[in-house]
Amino acid sequence: MQGISVPYNIIVLIKQILDIDQMKTDPSTGEPIVQGVPFRIENLSKNAIEAAVRIKEKFGGKVTGIIFGSEQSTAAVKEAYAMGVDDGFVIKGYAGKNPSVTARVLSEKIKSLPYDMVILGNQSADTYTGLLPGKLSAILGVPLLGNAISIEPGANEVKVTRVMEEQNAVLSSRLPALISVAQEINEPRLPPVLQIIKAGKKQITVEQTSVAVTSSVKILSNKAPRSDRRREVFEEVDKGIPTVVKVIKEAMR
Amino acid sequence: MKALVFSDNGDLLSQALSFFRSKLEVDAAVYIDKPESVAEYGAKTIIRLKGEGFSDNISDALVDIMKEGGYDYAVLCSTATGREVAGIISEKLGMDVSTEIFDFNFSGDKVVTKSFGFGGKTVLEEESGSRVFTVIPGITDASKVEQKSTIVERELKGSSITLVQTINKQTTSVNLENAGIIVAVGRGIGKKEAIDQIMPLVKAVKGELAGSRPVCLDYQWLSEDRQVGLSGKKVKPKLYIALGISGQIQHIAGMRGSKTVIAINKDKSAPIFEEADYGIVGDLFQIVPKIVSSLQS
Repeated sequence: MQGISVPYNIIVLIKQILDIDQMKTDPSTGEPIVQGVPFRIENLSKNAIEAAVRIKEKFGGKVTGIIFGSEQSTAAVKEAYAMGVDDGFVIKGYAGKNPSVTARVLSEKIKSLPYDMVILGNQSADTYTGLLPGKLSAILGVPLLGNAISIEPGANEVKVTRVMEEQNAVLSSRLPALISVAQEINEPRLPPVLQIIKAGKKQITVEQTSVAVTSSVKILSNKAPRSDRRREVFEEVDKGIPTVVKVIKEAMR
Repeated sequence: MKALVFSDNGDLLSQALSFFRSKLEVDAAVYIDKPESVAEYGAKTIIRLKGEGFSDNISDALVDIMKEGGYDYAVLCSTATGREVAGIISEKLGMDVSTEIFDFNFSGDKVVTKSFGFGGKTVLEEESGSRVFTVIPGITDASKVEQKSTIVERELKGSSITLVQTINKQTTSVNLENAGIIVAVGRGIGKKEAIDQIMPLVKAVKGELAGSRPVCLDYQWLSEDRQVGLSGKKVKPKLYIALGISGQIQHIAGMRGSKTVIAINKDKSAPIFEEADYGIVGDLFQIVPKIVSSLQS
C-alpha cells in the first residue's frame, strides 16, 4: 500500500580493489606494478552503499555491509560506516578474481542474516566480470533485478528501473530480491569528518572463510599491450595542422 | 565440439557467430524480434526464445537447451542480460566461466582466452577449463556465409520478475562500430555547448561524433550510445580523432583498434599522446577551426 513505511533489512556487498587509476605498468616489460598501489572501495560499491542508505533513511531499517577481502578491508568498512552503513563484516580469504568462490563465500554469509534486499554493483572496474549478480541469484534462489538506476521498495515487492542497451524497463518482483545497480543510480555522498571519526570507533566483525578455493584457471600472461603508435606529437600548432590535415584527407579517400 | 551462442542483440550475435563458427559447431539462441536477420552468420539452428524474457527464465531455457542438445560450451554476448545469464547458468550447469573475452583458442582439452585486466591496462591471457564465456562487443567483424540457419521457436516459461513498463531511450541511429572516421570529445571540451564548435569538423570529415565516459555518462553532454570505452562501444575506425580526451585506460580500451589516431589536447603529458599516431599540443578550439578551413580549401 502507498504511504506505509516499512523498515527493511538491506545487505550491501562491498568490493575493495587496487586503485587501478594509480597503477602503472613497467614500460619495458609491460608487467603491472602493484606494489605500493593503495586499495579503494570500487566506485559501483559506493553507488550500492548510497542506494541502500537512502532506502534506510526514507523507510527505516538496517544496512549491513559485507566484504570478501583481507585484513586491509576494514578500512573499506569504516568508509562504509561513515556513509551510513550500520553493521559490517569482513570475510578474509580473498585470493584474486574467482567469481565462483566469491559468490559462494558471500551467499553463505548472506544466508546467515535476515534480508529483504541485497544490493551490489553490476560490475567492477578492475575485472568487469559482471558475473556475481547472476551467480548469487542462482545460489540464493532470489530474483535478480539488474542494472538498476532507481529502486522503489513496497510492502512485499520492489520495483526498479533497469537500464539496457536499447531501452529501459521498469521491473518488479517479490521481496527478498537481489538488486545490482548501475553508476547512474546516484551520486555517492562524501561523509562529513565527524562521521568519519565516529565510524573509526565502530566495531567490525572479521571472519575467515571456510569455502575452499579451487580454480581451473592458469594465468599465462598479464601485461600491458604494446602500443605501436607513431607518437608524432607537435608542440607547435601551425606545424602540426598540415600533417593532421593530410592524414585526415587520406582517411577520407 | 558444439557451442550454443546466446544474445538479445542481433549485431553482437552476428559477430560472435562469425568468430566462433570456424572453431566450433555453433547453434544460436536469441531473444530478439527478427531472428531471420541473424540467419546468415553460420549457426546451424537458431532457437528463438518467445515470450516475456528476463534473466531467470532465459537462463532456465538455456540450461534446458544445453542439456537437451549436448552442448560443450555456452557463449553469451556481453549485454546486461547476457552477463547476468552467464552467472546464473554457470551455477546451474556447474561450469567454470571466463568473462569479457576477445580471443579464444583450444589448447588440448583446455581453452586459452584473452581479456583485459586491471581495468584495461593489461591483457590477461588465461588457460582454463571454462565452458561458459561472455564475449565483448566487436570480437570480430560480422561476415555472412552461404548456408542459412534453420529457425525454430521455443516458448519461455514463467519468470519471478514482472515487466511493469518499457521506457524508450532517446537514442539516435548512431553506429560507431561501423564508422570510418570518429571524432571523439572528452572532458577537455569544457561544456556541452562546445560541441557546436566541434560539429563542423565532424561534418567536414563525414564522421561520427563520440565521447568519453565522463562526457556521456557523468555530464550527459552526449547520449550514452556514443560512449567509447571499456564500458561503452569498442570501435575500430580508419581514423580516430580524440579532442580534449586525456586518455584514461577505460577509454583507450574502447579505441585501441583504430587504424590511425590523432589526438589534440592542451596537456602535453596527457596519456592519449602515448596512444596517438599524430598529436597536437594546444587549444582545440583554435586548432579545430583551422583544420576545418584547411580541409575545405
